[in-house]
Amino acid sequence: MDKIVIKKKKVWTKNRIQLFIMAMFGAAFLIVFAYVPMFGVALAFKDGDKELNILDVLISGKWVGFANFERFFNDYNFKNILTNTLGLNILMLFINFPAPIVFALLIHEIRHRAYQRTVQSIAIFPTFLSWVVFGGILLSLLDMNMGIANPVLRALGIIGKDDFINFGEAKFAWANISISSLLKGTGWSSVIYTAAILGIDPELYEAAKLDGAGRFRQITAITIPSIAPMLTVSLLLSISGLLNNSFEHINVFQNAVNTAKSEVIATYVYKQGISGRLYSYTTAVGLFQSLVALILLASSNFISKKITGRGLY
Amino acid sequence: MYAEKRWDLRPQKKKIRLTAFDILLYALMFVFLILLLYPFWFVVIGSLSDGRDYNAGGVFLLPRSWSLSSYKVVFSDPELYVAFGVTLARTAVGTVTSLLFTAMVAYAMHSKDLIAKPVFYWFNIFTMFFGGGLIPFFLLIVNLGLYDTFWVYVIPGLYSVYNMIIISTFYHGISSELREAAMIDGASEFTVFLRIYIPLSKPVLATVGMWIAVGHWNSYYDTMLYTVDKSLHTLQYYLMRLILLSSAPSSTSNLPPEILNDTIPVTISYASIVIASIPVIMLYPVIQKICFSQGITAGSVKG
Repeated sequence: MDKIVIKKKKVWTKNRIQLFIMAMFGAAFLIVFAYVPMFGVALAFKDGDKELNILDVLISGKWVGFANFERFFNDYNFKNILTNTLGLNILMLFINFPAPIVFALLIHEIRHRAYQRTVQSIAIFPTFLSWVVFGGILLSLLDMNMGIANPVLRALGIIGKDDFINFGEAKFAWANISISSLLKGTGWSSVIYTAAILGIDPELYEAAKLDGAGRFRQITAITIPSIAPMLTVSLLLSISGLLNNSFEHINVFQNAVNTAKSEVIATYVYKQGISGRLYSYTTAVGLFQSLVALILLASSNFISKKITGRGLY
Repeated sequence: MYAEKRWDLRPQKKKIRLTAFDILLYALMFVFLILLLYPFWFVVIGSLSDGRDYNAGGVFLLPRSWSLSSYKVVFSDPELYVAFGVTLARTAVGTVTSLLFTAMVAYAMHSKDLIAKPVFYWFNIFTMFFGGGLIPFFLLIVNLGLYDTFWVYVIPGLYSVYNMIIISTFYHGISSELREAAMIDGASEFTVFLRIYIPLSKPVLATVGMWIAVGHWNSYYDTMLYTVDKSLHTLQYYLMRLILLSSAPSSTSNLPPEILNDTIPVTISYASIVIASIPVIMLYPVIQKICFSQGITAGSVKG
């Protein structure tokens, strides 16, 4: 008896050590691939541009204060990059946040199950394609000579018989980027909402019907309030990503002509940092981005908690 | 399966009567389907067209003059096979290792016997909110000696906090009595993980594994960032060079002119898009099955 009691009190049992080691594997991975790069941001306050031995700079390099940040803020590209990064993300937030919700609500209203499933399975297909493939296909549709976009616009009378639109021009960059993300992502994003809608108690609808609520009223009075907590969470997450762009996405739609409208932090850091080897400068740009994201998340979470009583943490 | 059962719970009349709203909705969805499907058709007919003729434009429904030359050019390019092999290898190795590693950590993280659990928890969570950014990560890869090796595709993706949370949420739903019973029989934690938790968590592992695999298959940025060697190029990177940079396949110098004359860079890139999409289309039924089985909401709804 006594022996068993003593064993239970022992903290470091064989099995607990095993568990600890298993969790340590994850922690060790994070130390190397997440925490070490976090200390690497010290590079933003040193001068390591074009340096070959970056470790040397990190350890013994001279501190330069906020010089790298100032350089970015004073760069002639800064205004364009910030406008594009924020503008594109806000635009996509306005389009891509409601679209999957509307789509899920519409799909839910389709009464023939076979049709419903067909629509859904085709709508989620682009999610599984890479940006190269999906973007490449869209670009081919927009091609001036061989694409179908111009002939369709001509047939609809939107442009004159001999006119043509070059969708590679800078003024179409935002449209290309945001519409492509809408087409690629809406189907899949709606699946999460569909699952949530399916989880709503059917008796609620039954009761609303008895009270004389039509289909539209059922959506506004039952469906939307039921999925509201989910909406808060995904809105918060999207707001924290306002300075994040997918490089793989933007890169596909960027060309030599439209950089003024398509250059975002993600593509700028790649060009200046990896190709141009301005390591310290681009580390500063990246740190600026991470900090803004952190502030955005914290403040939107705070506001959400005040208003709706719900937040991420 | 999960979705099917729930659908029937919704109050429905036995006979579906379509209102004006329904008809509008059905028509709208039909237009949406065409908008999503036509682009693929457009690329398929383009890839099957004679390049010189296609260049004149106006090929929208069927090729005016058929030609398989674009496919011949792509298929005779040795770089395609290298890229295909690299992508296949990184997807297989990357998915299996990442899934096992992440599931193992998830098992430890879900257990209430884990010492210093809150410390581990916040140590993990913090990395989701703040990161060092691209350049410090790039320099880390270089200094670890992973730069320009195959392992740069596998090792940095070995663990994901997000996936760990999804899997450990699923583990919370597995009755701890199973574990306790096994423990009494003398099983260690690792054995319980391997013999009980892995087999029981197949749905969530399938879902998470599918997304890891899709990510590996579709990625091209890491090839741009961390490799220079041609033998490490992935399929998507190969495509990107054909599509965005309009670079010619390396085979063009060895092919007879009668084949090359029938192609233009655009039809060649279409053929490569079709070739690269075929595996995804072939596996799509499997993907869908995973998506619409209980795995879809695994981690949030399923308990």
